[in-house]
Amino acid sequence: MSTPLLELQDVTKRFGGVVAVNGVSFDVGEGELVGLIGPNGAGKTTLLNCLSRMYRLDAGSIRFGGVDIAKLGRHEVARLGMGRTFQVVRPFRSMTARENVAIGALFGSERARLAPAEAFTVADEVIDLVGLGGRAKLLVDELTVPDRRRLEVARALATRPRLLLLDEVMAGLNPSEVAEELEVVKRINASGIAILVIEHVMQVIVGICPRVVVLHFGRVLLEGDPATVLGDPRVVEAYLGERYARRLQEARGG
Amino acid sequence: MRRRVLGVVAVAAVALFALLPLLSTDQARSAGLPQILDRSQLRELTTISMFVVLTSAWNIIGGLAGYPSFGNVVFFGLGAYATAVLTDPEHGHLPLVVGLLASPLVPAVAAVVIGFPLLRLRGHYFSIATLGISIAFGEVINNLDVLGGATGLFPPIIRNDLLFYYLMFFAAALTVAVTWWITRSRLGYGLVAIRENEEAAAVLGVDTTRYKIIAFVIAAVLTGLAGGIFAQWNSFINRENVFPVDYSVQMILMAVIGGAGSITGPVVGAVGLEALIQLLAGGSGVYTQILLGALLAVTVIFLPRGVIDFVVGRSRLTLAHFRRSLRETSV
Repeated sequence: MSTPLLELQDVTKRFGGVVAVNGVSFDVGEGELVGLIGPNGAGKTTLLNCLSRMYRLDAGSIRFGGVDIAKLGRHEVARLGMGRTFQVVRPFRSMTARENVAIGALFGSERARLAPAEAFTVADEVIDLVGLGGRAKLLVDELTVPDRRRLEVARALATRPRLLLLDEVMAGLNPSEVAEELEVVKRINASGIAILVIEHVMQVIVGICPRVVVLHFGRVLLEGDPATVLGDPRVVEAYLGERYARRLQEARGG
Repeated sequence: MRRRVLGVVAVAAVALFALLPLLSTDQARSAGLPQILDRSQLRELTTISMFVVLTSAWNIIGGLAGYPSFGNVVFFGLGAYATAVLTDPEHGHLPLVVGLLASPLVPAVAAVVIGFPLLRLRGHYFSIATLGISIAFGEVINNLDVLGGATGLFPPIIRNDLLFYYLMFFAAALTVAVTWWITRSRLGYGLVAIRENEEAAAVLGVDTTRYKIIAFVIAAVLTGLAGGIFAQWNSFINRENVFPVDYSVQMILMAVIGGAGSITGPVVGAVGLEALIQLLAGGSGVYTQILLGALLAVTVIFLPRGVIDFVVGRSRLTLAHFRRSLRETSV
């Protein structure tokens, strides 16, 4: 078996006395679509921030494409091919949607550097792909909330990543918007880009992720296919509390 | 239509700045051409060009990258001292050209040295730190006997106001051209991305540290060149006239009122305000200060994106932005 695209080994991040991420290890293969779930405060976003070098690790290592990224800058990780979105969107507010996306195309992957004119061509393609077509010339302030989330995805995608980290891009979307967004995620993955998707919306995880990693109190609680994972009493307990898990167990037993 | 009219006005203004001073020459007088510009007015025009350089150069780090330096005068002072040390008969005693060529180099090195630690700070912290640095530099130079101490340096007098006018005009044109080039290049897009959201820029692949330092160095080089020209033109420099905190403040004032982040905004701001300052120079300085302060307040409240955006028709006179920023800051 070839080396996985992303390898996490005992990744640990502390904030003072709080261990937000505690010895997390898992892999993401080339072109794979993996879900990362866990209750609030489980350390999902912290883990993502470790991956994109927003935070420095306290212990463990992260290898991306065989390269240890501990000593790399954020922009270097991005240029190696790791794109991400922010849960709280961070658009460039003075720019149009198209310009926002063009920044990604201009500075992303080092494999093919683009001139400004080419970057705008790529931006137009990506904007259509994520379903922002027709709103390319609008300023960020003029976009709806779901559109701003789409813009986050488009911008990251424009960097032509090998791995895309999606941080709750479907939070706050209505069911039909979620369905549209799912199609977009599937399409991106089908084009060969690996995706690690953090999500609260269960439908997303069940619907599209062949493999799910569950995080709880900063540790990997378990890992597996969605049906197994969501049926596991430990996961139910983590999400809904001990009492509910016990009741569920009894109901099944009886 | 409006844009075309404005374009014609801009070209005419530049042509006027480029050609009008020729009328003040002795040749023009002997040829019987009208003398609409006297020596002192020519000097005023030179000062206006100087502020175009300072303001547009500030705009590269403050307006495009969004790092509001309050200490850019340090590059002006260092450029001036670099030139003066080389041309002063008691020091280098080298020709003017050599002095001018050195004027961007010293500030460039200083920008790298200052930039590495300071460009990690943001917003007000960056402003205060740069302000402190510029005052410290002035103080140190004022106490260095090698550099003439408090007495200052005296580059040889060159009586050619026209030469210095055109040198300064060239520096101004160069600064605007460099800004124009930046806004169309990868660098410009990166700087604006940094200004709008630095973390987002970084995760998209912008080497933020490197870009900020490049912007700071470009600003320093151009500001230093203006300092070098000034030193030679004035043939006397010391801390008071090349390290004044006032200059740092004026650069920001002119850029913000004109329209920071644009190419033409800082130029319009510098020309307009410096002309106003010189018109009011006859009266008490206090009134000038009050007027400038009031202008800044009115601009920031009603035209947060500067006068130029309003003139071009991109933004309207509105309180909406002010209300929004009040909401955002009063949480």
